[in-house]
Amino acid sequence: MTSSFARVLCRILIVCMIGLPFQVHAGLIGTDQVVTAEQALAARDMVNSVVSRADVASQLQALGLSPETARDRVAALTDGEVAKLAGQIQSLPAGADGAGLILLILIGVLIWWLVKK
Amino acid sequence: MTREARARAGFFVALAALLLGGCISLPQTDALRATPPGGLPPRVELERVPFFEQDDFLCGPATLAMVLNAAGRPASVESLTPQVYLPGRQGSLQAEMMGATRRAGLVAYPLTPTLEALMRELAAGRPAIVLLNLSFRFAPVWHYAVVVGYDQDLGKFIVRSGRKPRDEWSYAFLEFLWKDSGHWALLALKPGELPATAREAEFAAAVAALENAGGRGEARESYRALLGRWPQNLAGLFGLGNVEYALGDLAASAAAFRRATEAHPQSGPAFNNLAHVLAQQGRLAEAEAAARKAVALGGPTLAEANKTLESILAKRTTSGR
Repeated sequence: MTSSFARVLCRILIVCMIGLPFQVHAGLIGTDQVVTAEQALAARDMVNSVVSRADVASQLQALGLSPETARDRVAALTDGEVAKLAGQIQSLPAGADGAGLILLILIGVLIWWLVKK
Repeated sequence: MTREARARAGFFVALAALLLGGCISLPQTDALRATPPGGLPPRVELERVPFFEQDDFLCGPATLAMVLNAAGRPASVESLTPQVYLPGRQGSLQAEMMGATRRAGLVAYPLTPTLEALMRELAAGRPAIVLLNLSFRFAPVWHYAVVVGYDQDLGKFIVRSGRKPRDEWSYAFLEFLWKDSGHWALLALKPGELPATAREAEFAAAVAALENAGGRGEARESYRALLGRWPQNLAGLFGLGNVEYALGDLAASAAAFRRATEAHPQSGPAFNNLAHVLAQQGRLAEAEAAARKAVALGGPTLAEANKTLESILAKRTTSGR
């Protein structure tokens, strides 16, 4: 009971934390709404965007970032990038190591062996 | 023989076998060899791009440090690691590489996915970060490297990668490693800088992303560059109006939105924003006319347009103008 309440509260706080810096000047329509091709969805996207930013931020935290770092990093992304990350943060390419070159040797050996046979 | 040299040898054996077997094709390399791209110097090497050696898993911060410094933004592996490295993935995501570029006040522009575009940008003095898969498609090992030059006579690219400050890779080697990422390459552009291979919509979106990330002054210069090339671009006019407003220049903001309404008379958002800025300037009669036009055009932003009109009418009532 207490923990589910805490969860809800946390979610709300995250949405506020993430959403507030994005409020543009009241009355002006943001540039991103014109850039987005699907303008019919603009208003709904705005709501979705705040929710999925909170989502991505909490996923980033689960992957080892502090809440502030996660928030700042999400703030630098576009709505489209956030939407893409939201469901696939575990599977999208994460550039890392150069040592993987070693695997190319294995490919080479494998192919060489197959061809020779 | 070093590990990389062995890997290289392995690659060529694999590539030769695959090519002979017809399993893979490298169309871009074939095209470059058949018809070398016109109007480019035979050889380019951007020696001023500094090298940052990567520790394990940190090729994201290292490659980013190279291109940011090349664009005049001081950065180091240490300063960028907290901005892009994701401990749980032991690597850096493409979106975050772009986000960190914006946080440095630069436009993060995904390049047209071709070797030729890469060469054209190099010839214009811009290095690019490329995303490579060093392994099988079904068990990828992703890696970032920076391309800093090419040599058409040798058919090679010059690359900074991993622990190597300078390496020469054949067209085929780069294309082979590059293809699984969809030939993803990233440019970090200074404010006001237009890529040699710029595409209108993609560049406009890249500048809008910088604006949204908080780089308004930088975005203003890039919007101007965009409009210098494509004067009618709606996102450019609109974005310029929004950043001028945010930076407090109402006259310039109104002028940009005015241009947007003239070039795009069907754009409700352009009329809405023009009305809003005119009202701020106290030009209430003109503001009302623009707001009425925005309401008449309707569309997905009708709710905002109605609000704008209401607030202008309220202002006119109280001020008696």
